[in-house]
Amino acid sequence: MVLHTLNAAPSSAAFRDCLKLVAPDDAVVLLGDGVYAALEGTAACDELRAAAAALFVLRADAQLAGIESPADGFGLIDMDDLVALTERFERQLAWY
Amino acid sequence: MPAGVFCLGGAPLVIYSLLVLSSPVSGHGSRTGAAFAHSAIARGHSIHRVFFLDAGTLNGSHNSILPQDETDPAASWEALHREHGVELVLCISSALRYGMLDATEAARHDRSNATINPAFSVSGLGQLVDACAHSDRLITFGG
Amino acid sequence: MGEAAKKPVLVVMRHSPYGSSLAKAAVDVALAAAAFEQAVDLLFIGEGVLQLLPGQESHKLGKKNIGRQLASLPLYDIELVYVDAEAALRYQLDIASSPVNAQLLGPQEMRQLMVGYDHLLGL
Repeated sequence: MVLHTLNAAPSSAAFRDCLKLVAPDDAVVLLGDGVYAALEGTAACDELRAAAAALFVLRADAQLAGIESPADGFGLIDMDDLVALTERFERQLAWY
Repeated sequence: MPAGVFCLGGAPLVIYSLLVLSSPVSGHGSRTGAAFAHSAIARGHSIHRVFFLDAGTLNGSHNSILPQDETDPAASWEALHREHGVELVLCISSALRYGMLDATEAARHDRSNATINPAFSVSGLGQLVDACAHSDRLITFGG
Repeated sequence: MGEAAKKPVLVVMRHSPYGSSLAKAAVDVALAAAAFEQAVDLLFIGEGVLQLLPGQESHKLGKKNIGRQLASLPLYDIELVYVDAEAALRYQLDIASSPVNAQLLGPQEMRQLMVGYDHLLGL
């Protein structure tokens, strides 16, 4: 099980590479420019949901970007929740 | 990890190390990494070391000045050291490239003054390797 | 290093060799881990596979040669590296000419590989 922290816009190489390596029992946390993949109706949002992993968005970064509520299937989390995810997941991989 | 020791959330205590690749002046990694470290400590975990590599070494600058209405992520890193004694290590080869010099390196390379915040130290990649070997989690912040 | 148990590390090489300083940093990290006798492997994905192109000529520009550094991996007992097969195909990379022995992996194999390590370093 891998916790992917995705800090890269949906059109970036990092975003594509991350999608390729996400397994169904992984989790993906969108932060930084990654939060734009939580825009409902976008291809990136659909692609992430198709990966079937648990999906989260860092609240402060979503608010900074102007994303008031993320697309269905994405949980809004705070920094404390991100730490909790790193307790549960044995390894993290950063995409940026 | 010691048995029977739990954090506020009920999970076992974790020894973390952080690898920071992001500059404090651009992107999100520096701000997020510092906030993560403070949250981890607040949950009862420990931070073995924060290792700054590549543009991440710019977090150790003693000379950058931000407008008053902006938050300086470097101050958040410094607070981690001041309040919790967390070791903040700049990769020496990256630091030299970015002009991040402690007093020793400034003297060695005939530069007039140190440029890093004294809360940070400079050392080799062995400190990152050591951090991997002694930590339950290595969390990377880039971009 | 003290007496701590070894924790295997996978360095995930994602960046082209000279477009940023991250590829150089990743190679340095891998070599440092191996020099300190830690278990370390390398996975090249996406644009990172371009680090394996043969014939890199860096001395004219006064830069470190990533290809040559990768060729030195066997000296550190890293005999084999892992490569994203899709990316290798996308860039028409012939891994037979790679500076270091390379094994192609599909997405499923890469996912399985990753969970065999304690730490993943994406650089």
